[in-house]
Amino acid sequence: MEPFRLVIAGVGGQGTLLASRLLAEAAMKSGLSVKIGETYGMAQRGGPVMSHAQIGGEVSSPVICPGEADVLLGFEEAEAVRRGVTYLKGSGLALVNRRRSPPAEVVSGMVEYPSRDRLMSLLSEVTPNIVSFDATALAEEAGDPIATNIVMLGALVASGCLPFPESTVIDVIEESVPERYHATNLKAFELGKRAFRGSRTVSPNA
Amino acid sequence: MLSHSVALDEPRKAVLLMGNEAIARGAIEAGVSVAASYPGTPASEIGDTLCRMAGRFGAHFEWSSNEKVAFEVAFGASMCNQRSLVSMKHVGLNVALDILNLASLRGVKGGLVLVSADDPSQHSSGQEQDNRWLAKINCIPVLEPSNPQDAKDCTRYAFELSEKVRLPVMVRTVTRLSHMRSDVTLGPIERQRRKAEFDWEGFSYRVAGFERLFRREKELNEKLDRVQGEFEGSVFNGLKIDGGESLGVIGVGFSFSYAIDALRKLGLENKLARLKLMTSHPLPTRLVSRLLKGVDQLMIFEEVDPFVELHVKALAKDVNPSLEICGRMSGHLPKEGELGPMIVGDALAKLSGMGRPCVPRLELDARVRQTLFDRMLTLCAGCPHRATVYALKESVKKVKGDLRSVVVNGDIGCYGLAHAPPLSFEDTYFCMGASVGVSQGMSQVGVDSIAFIGDGTFFHAGIPALINAVYNRHNIKVVVADNQTIAMTGFQPHPESGRTAMGSEAKRIMIEDVAKACGVDSVEVIDPYDLDEAEDAFTRMLKTDGVAMVVARRMCATEAVREMRPRRPAPFRVDPELCIGCKLCLSAFGCPSLSWVDDDAKASIDETLCMGCGVCSQVCPQEAIGRVAK
Repeated sequence: MEPFRLVIAGVGGQGTLLASRLLAEAAMKSGLSVKIGETYGMAQRGGPVMSHAQIGGEVSSPVICPGEADVLLGFEEAEAVRRGVTYLKGSGLALVNRRRSPPAEVVSGMVEYPSRDRLMSLLSEVTPNIVSFDATALAEEAGDPIATNIVMLGALVASGCLPFPESTVIDVIEESVPERYHATNLKAFELGKRAFRGSRTVSPNA
Repeated sequence: MLSHSVALDEPRKAVLLMGNEAIARGAIEAGVSVAASYPGTPASEIGDTLCRMAGRFGAHFEWSSNEKVAFEVAFGASMCNQRSLVSMKHVGLNVALDILNLASLRGVKGGLVLVSADDPSQHSSGQEQDNRWLAKINCIPVLEPSNPQDAKDCTRYAFELSEKVRLPVMVRTVTRLSHMRSDVTLGPIERQRRKAEFDWEGFSYRVAGFERLFRREKELNEKLDRVQGEFEGSVFNGLKIDGGESLGVIGVGFSFSYAIDALRKLGLENKLARLKLMTSHPLPTRLVSRLLKGVDQLMIFEEVDPFVELHVKALAKDVNPSLEICGRMSGHLPKEGELGPMIVGDALAKLSGMGRPCVPRLELDARVRQTLFDRMLTLCAGCPHRATVYALKESVKKVKGDLRSVVVNGDIGCYGLAHAPPLSFEDTYFCMGASVGVSQGMSQVGVDSIAFIGDGTFFHAGIPALINAVYNRHNIKVVVADNQTIAMTGFQPHPESGRTAMGSEAKRIMIEDVAKACGVDSVEVIDPYDLDEAEDAFTRMLKTDGVAMVVARRMCATEAVREMRPRRPAPFRVDPELCIGCKLCLSAFGCPSLSWVDDDAKASIDETLCMGCGVCSQVCPQEAIGRVAK
């Protein structure tokens, strides 16, 4: 059996590591084998971060080959495109937080942040299945922008791609996150689900 | 982010663990009594885990001031019959080599396990160093786990092996394994404590005598032979050979995971002979020979250098001279850099005459690289180092005129990012503490330089160099970027923090006191968030003859935000009426919370990122930046 393969792309500090860990715990709870791997050498310093997760099936290493991922969870628009074009399989699903986190070279005026159309047209060369929304705005609506990762998890669950049920993910969130943040997180999760359900897949020129 | 399940006393329970957590767990299961380390990626989480677990299981964990000291602490406990562990990133072992060399020659008593976390492809390191060579020249056994379960089991076993042959044992992990998570089945925890007793017979040279204690090379070689014998039948290796296979594969340590995944994907799982090899030094030659004799072609996968490949080549000369050996030496695999599923899959497919298992989108990837920025690393919003470098640069301009009139020798830590635009004010970057040393050679030949070193690094390796500067009358300037934590590796405490790894209160050892005691007459401590104060102090430092130091002290911004959470100081805002769009805040200072709004041609501050340090308001010549009224 082939595993479910997920790539999470983002920037240091966005909570990508917690997201991948919550999914791994949910997979363990469901009796599925799981391997997750992360690169975050200098992630605290605004660098790009990426997690790979292989859930179910028979695999030993967490590392996914180019063009193999079933789903891309992009926490930041440019990082979503960077990793999506490499790792997503043709017709794979890209869930993209359209909130941008401009890097130092953009802030200091050395280079420009490419336009949304430009970025999405690159990604759409790989897949037409792109769902893009402002997950950070939804997290703010839920009470804390830091809950962006939970919004993204909500959207992922709503996509129906995960090999385990929503209730398992909610259980894991409640077990892993301190109780005082439960309300915010559950609201963020709900808003993420709604964002996916209310979305149509976007193509760049639509 | 560490998991709580690592400390569960529930044998046979399967939990999700990171490779580094699994290593820490293995040590606890083995009943480790003393563990010591110095933080360094990818090894840090071993210590981060042990510092939370050690107390609960009656053990001691410490962040030592450097890797050599950490090794000595562990060795001292071992000589008193206690199990001890020392962990470090690969290059940390360069610092600890002196004592490793003697610990292996004189032997150990309680099991002494050295965890070396190597960093193939240098994800967070200045060099790609394969520490198996250091194990070889120091005659110690090496175990290379292939997944987190092995990492735990190997570590536990390493203590037993160490005691059996009385040698330190190296567990070599690599970045991918250290930072991967998967299910690990827990084992029982050894809680029996041994009596701590110095082994007089083994280590005191008054008892053992000079000859017996010091001349031990022969004994060392015999020990390695015994280890090899033990490895021949080790459960950590697995040979699958049915006879009739023409191609064989050796996967060493974590590389075995890539190899087995590729074999499954290519449908070759039952068609090739294979050896999972976790005991890479000394090589179990009888076991390996069985594979070598049975195939015509052999592919070897291992991380960093062709270490096993070289030894297998030597062995093949005797047991199967016509065997074709493919690996990093033969050109079948890249000579440097990390392996991965694609490299391994491609190599196996090619040897088996099959098509590539996956084809990357090279042309599209290239277009994306052309379109997209690299996302440079940068100092965090509110980072005190940014203010320090900005002020230092201003005073160098003032005192020296030209920024190129002085070489800035950087050191290991976040502040190494001073080289990045827009600050661009750091010229060299070597190893822990080197900034203070190399500056002296420069000043000796008449080239002005500034040593720019962090607090953790100062304690680690800066002090002997500072003493040398005073003693040998070198005219150097030292700036200590003191953010009161070892930030880059995950905010571990150090001798100035006032608390130990395990959380007890500790005497604060202040850098300025150390410097004065080393004979530095001119030492100032400033708050870099006050740019005027900082600039004045740097100016005085630059004008001082002889050794002069400024300690720029302010808590790491990320740590400060965490401590204040959920509260934080009111952020700052750009007044669009006053901003003239000169971009100085962006082009000269460059805090990530600042950005440029094209529509109004003004600067702007992201209030969710701004942590309220207010330094940009001192940079703005128009006084257009002010604190948001609460």
